[in-house]
Amino acid sequence: MDPFLAEIEQTIARWHGIAAPNEPARRMAADLAEVIHAFEQQRGALVFEDEPASFEAALRQTMER
Amino acid sequence: MTDLTELSLVDAADAVRTGAVRSVELLHAVWARLEAMNPQLNAVIWLDREGAEASARAADQAVRDRAALGPLHGVPMAHKDMYYQAGKLSTCGSAIRQDWRPAVTATVIERLAAAGAYTFGGLNMAEFAQNPTGHNKTFGDCHNPWNLPYITGGSSSGSGVSVAARFNYMALGSDTGGSIRLPASACGATGIKPTQTRVSRYGVMPLSFTCDNVGPLCRTARDCARIMTVIAGRDARDPTSADIAVPDYEAALDGDLRGLRIGVPVNWFFDNADDDVVGAFALAMDALAARGAKARKIELPLMDAVAACGGIVSRVEAAAIHAQWMRDCPQAYGGHISGRMYPAYAIPAPYYVEALSRRGPILKAFADAVFADVDVLATPTIRTNLPTLAETDIDHGPPGTEHRFLAVSANTRPFNYLGLPAVSVPCGLDSQGCPIGLQIAGRPFAEARVLRVADAYQRDTDWHRRRPPVLDTVADGKAARIGLSIA
Repeated sequence: MDPFLAEIEQTIARWHGIAAPNEPARRMAADLAEVIHAFEQQRGALVFEDEPASFEAALRQTMER
Repeated sequence: MTDLTELSLVDAADAVRTGAVRSVELLHAVWARLEAMNPQLNAVIWLDREGAEASARAADQAVRDRAALGPLHGVPMAHKDMYYQAGKLSTCGSAIRQDWRPAVTATVIERLAAAGAYTFGGLNMAEFAQNPTGHNKTFGDCHNPWNLPYITGGSSSGSGVSVAARFNYMALGSDTGGSIRLPASACGATGIKPTQTRVSRYGVMPLSFTCDNVGPLCRTARDCARIMTVIAGRDARDPTSADIAVPDYEAALDGDLRGLRIGVPVNWFFDNADDDVVGAFALAMDALAARGAKARKIELPLMDAVAACGGIVSRVEAAAIHAQWMRDCPQAYGGHISGRMYPAYAIPAPYYVEALSRRGPILKAFADAVFADVDVLATPTIRTNLPTLAETDIDHGPPGTEHRFLAVSANTRPFNYLGLPAVSVPCGLDSQGCPIGLQIAGRPFAEARVLRVADAYQRDTDWHRRRPPVLDTVADGKAARIGLSIA
């Protein structure tokens, strides 16, 4: 098994007690490499004070008047 | 004699209110069409015949009594089977909940009922609202009325099909990554995903607390406007719902697009688009320009961040919600459902928190940059010709099928993370005869504006009135009786 996929399966089993249910699950788990890559491109963008509640504020700040 | 199933929601409601048509007549017309069409389309999970008949008779009596009548008085409806009605089935399209009956009723169901509507059944959907195609392992795949082997769009598959096939005047869908707009596009219906927080989600099956939205699929933008006026607004039982005044969306439909600035993205939304879609989109832009709108190309900022963060949030939240069932009974799910959730358990919590935390700043930066220059964005709802059910069947298809499957929602997902309102209206047919959708998105709480654009477009075009050919190949009421469970 691909080492990356093996590591993913072990992590999920250890942290969640969930095993890969089928082959599509393994294929899509392998695609997590793309998720990591996409997030790598965003590194440094998070500001220290950013917090989830700012979304509701942004909705109001940018809303149709 | 008028075919009552051809009426729009607004026309049907107004006909009942004025006494021109009885609610019972509407309901029986719907039954006949449903019995003729559903065996091919598989859009319905359960029916409540007795309850609907009683509601129809009560609605007609209220008209005779000259009682106060709501804007949806006497209109029969069926919804995606994830809107809870106390004591009635709510399967969520799943084997796990196939016999489940909730103890509460969704706020939106109560608001529709207060406006005079009644429900007659629960509609097929993707299992737990988790695919963009309409596949369903437990209740069977839903079929596109325009071309049966093709996908209906999902996850509100039965909602799109029932409206397009004329056995439903309106259906609630839910939209976490496109699940209202995709079936609207694929089936030739009109559907709106409202601004995040605009419509209460109390009593609605959760998929992603952050990205779930409730909205209607109808025949017309005017139908959607009437529904939105009824269902939008603050709900004390959903603390995430916005306390912002709800306008009369229908009254704002004036057909006037003079001076409207439409942004057509040059990035993301047309990547690998098919010629049929690009051609239909261009003609739609011409129609809007003829009403005075001015289109301009625009480079959208932050799309990589939207994609990276948006892809994290909904997947992780769905995985968390389903964790216990994924431990206890993973084989109860369709393979592609459990398969899609599985990798999300490996996504680190800091990724999820970052994706959540950046949502507000990203929205602010996106909206400030984009809506300084344009009033709305226009894109294809689905950028490719529709695939078939077989081409997107992860459970039985070859490796790689998942990429074709996921591409279906590429143009709808960004607006879920951004929380922006977006409507899809039919704007053409592809070379297989399947509908193409035009997506119009706007600022937060700009539902009135995007609906006004959609309505203006429908004043000059007839795509929303076209009938799936299959309707003319099956004699109404002649099909075998359908075997459906009774709520």
